[in-house]
Amino acid sequence: MSMVYINIFLAFILSLMGMLVYRSHLMSSLLCLEGMMLSLFVMMSVTILNNHLTLASMMPIVLLVFAACEAALGLSLLVMVSNTYGTDYVQNLNLLQC
Amino acid sequence: MNMFSSCMITALVILTLPIIMSSTKLYKNKLYPYYVKTATSYAFMISMIPTMMFIYSGQETIISNWHWMTIQTMKLSMSFKLDYFSMIFVPVALFVTWSIMEFSMWYMHSDPYINRFFKYLLLFLITMMVLVTANNMFQLFIGWEGVGIMSFLLIGWWYGRTDANTAALQAVLYNRIGDVGFIMTMAWFLLNLNTWDLQQIFITTNDNFNLPLLGLLLAATGKSAQFGLHPWLPSAMEGPTPVSALLHSSTMVVAGVFLLIRFHPLMEHNQTIQTLTLCLGAITTLFTAICALTQNDIKKIVAFSTSSQLGLMMVTIGINQPYLAFLHICTHAFFKAMLFMCSGSIIHSLNDEQDIRKMGGLFKVLPFTTTSLIIGSLALTGMPFLTGFYSKDLIIESANTSNTNAWALLITLVATSLTAAYSTRIMFFALLGQPRFSPMILINENNPLLINSIKRLLIGSVFAGYIISHSITPTTIPQMTMPHYLKMTALAVTILGFILALELNLTTQGLKFNYPSNYFKFSSLLGYYPTIMHRLTPKTSLTISQKSAFMLLDSIWLENILPKSISYFQMKSSTLISNQKGLIKLYFLSFMLTMILSLLILNYHE
Repeated sequence: MSMVYINIFLAFILSLMGMLVYRSHLMSSLLCLEGMMLSLFVMMSVTILNNHLTLASMMPIVLLVFAACEAALGLSLLVMVSNTYGTDYVQNLNLLQC
Repeated sequence: MNMFSSCMITALVILTLPIIMSSTKLYKNKLYPYYVKTATSYAFMISMIPTMMFIYSGQETIISNWHWMTIQTMKLSMSFKLDYFSMIFVPVALFVTWSIMEFSMWYMHSDPYINRFFKYLLLFLITMMVLVTANNMFQLFIGWEGVGIMSFLLIGWWYGRTDANTAALQAVLYNRIGDVGFIMTMAWFLLNLNTWDLQQIFITTNDNFNLPLLGLLLAATGKSAQFGLHPWLPSAMEGPTPVSALLHSSTMVVAGVFLLIRFHPLMEHNQTIQTLTLCLGAITTLFTAICALTQNDIKKIVAFSTSSQLGLMMVTIGINQPYLAFLHICTHAFFKAMLFMCSGSIIHSLNDEQDIRKMGGLFKVLPFTTTSLIIGSLALTGMPFLTGFYSKDLIIESANTSNTNAWALLITLVATSLTAAYSTRIMFFALLGQPRFSPMILINENNPLLINSIKRLLIGSVFAGYIISHSITPTTIPQMTMPHYLKMTALAVTILGFILALELNLTTQGLKFNYPSNYFKFSSLLGYYPTIMHRLTPKTSLTISQKSAFMLLDSIWLENILPKSISYFQMKSSTLISNQKGLIKLYFLSFMLTMILSLLILNYHE
């Protein structure tokens, strides 16, 4: 595998680690999620452009749309939690009340 | 060319003159009531001329004046039918109204708006005349609605009183329900017979007249306070006593019965409607007689007595004797108006006291009123050879000897005895015994207005039955032979009622009631009918409308079906199936550990 792919793959792994391991703020997890989406986007675009997979060119756009949707969803959940508690500390998510 | 139509039109025009003069200075005059009374007396005397011509020669007239409009094939014009019924009723009504106007000059003389009162009374009289002389149903309807409106205005004369306003509204509402029947009849005649003229209706044959006659029966139920639409009549006693004497005893409430009498050629071949009328009249007369037994307001007792006599008139129509019913209308007007005027005299003399439990001992104090009250009550109960005898006894005899509903007949006889009972009650409590009113009032009945008016009706109550029944043309053959026990039924039942009521009233002086029994409560609360109908029916319809309009449409369909149900369902299901504890960091860490372990272990797959 060439250096570019390893680089981007490493970026993805790093963001994944960042999302799975976080201490107190929920926001950091969401930010790492965005990072994962970004690295996936770049990897997908590079692969398609290098291998001339023309018909798959719409996939990065679709990925971007879904990333935006999920970011909005995540942020709304964050805002819901933050409305109740004032901060977004993870220790607040111990009581699942509807 | 005789003066029949000229005299009649003159009489009717004389009545309208004070109304036309009401926009001039005459209306503000203190003597306006005198003018109105004199106009009515002149109209009475002039209308006697055509009546005597009718009695002598049997001449009937139809005056068709003014062509109003033609709607496609139907011609509407102003026409007066001066036949047997209207010719005899008009002088009677004018005579009674003359006496009542003279009486109300005494009764209402301290009222600042007495001119307006007389104008309203005169307007009522004019619309009543329009009603009885109408030749087509449209003109009859004009008179019908007119008497309803004037009744509303006159019942609510003292409009500062809440009860008076409620009673006036009640009268209008109940009359309106009857008007629906009237309009249905008019529509049926328009569709099927293409006319509203009485002559064309009577000569056209049709297979059955059930529907229009039902409409007329409903109209009579509303206007004449038969059972089912009766509570407005006792409530109408909120008006001044002259109003009660004129409208709700002699003139307006007989309009319903008069309507049925007018349409008697249609009714005499329809057995169903006759039976319905008979049963309705029988129920009315018994029910209102029961209610009259325990009332304490003297005007309400006389109002229930009116209602009972109206039921008797309906019974007479139900046994196919319209002419007897009409005779009873004419004779009843005399003594009922006189009864109301006597009670008005008592009320005014006792300083506006209407409760008979607070009257008493008026036998020596008001001799003239006492005399006329006793004669009026005797005439009402059908004492032989007074006025009421000539109509009431004939009615009871015809009912006894006709092939009719035995239950209705029995009820009518019971009601006849109850008539004697409550008349005794009035006389006993108001006139006899020791006085129960405050001794600080001056009792004086020596006013010529009062004395003359009651005297006229007194002479009428004694002699009018004889004069009228020996002057009219014979129509239906009265029953000549019957067993003697049937002939004496009315008299025996009445005497029984008198004796029983006298005994019971005398016992109330010595013994004490322990507690009102259930029968007493039934009678005193008017059979619970107003309590149920005035509360339950509006509450039911309002509840139904709230449930259907607000609950069903707005709340359920617009709000609850999609939005609120979705959110509710989601919340419930998520609380049901969530058993997580929200330890996100732990879940993420275990995920990461699993990923690393799987990558490390599965590296050696080869």
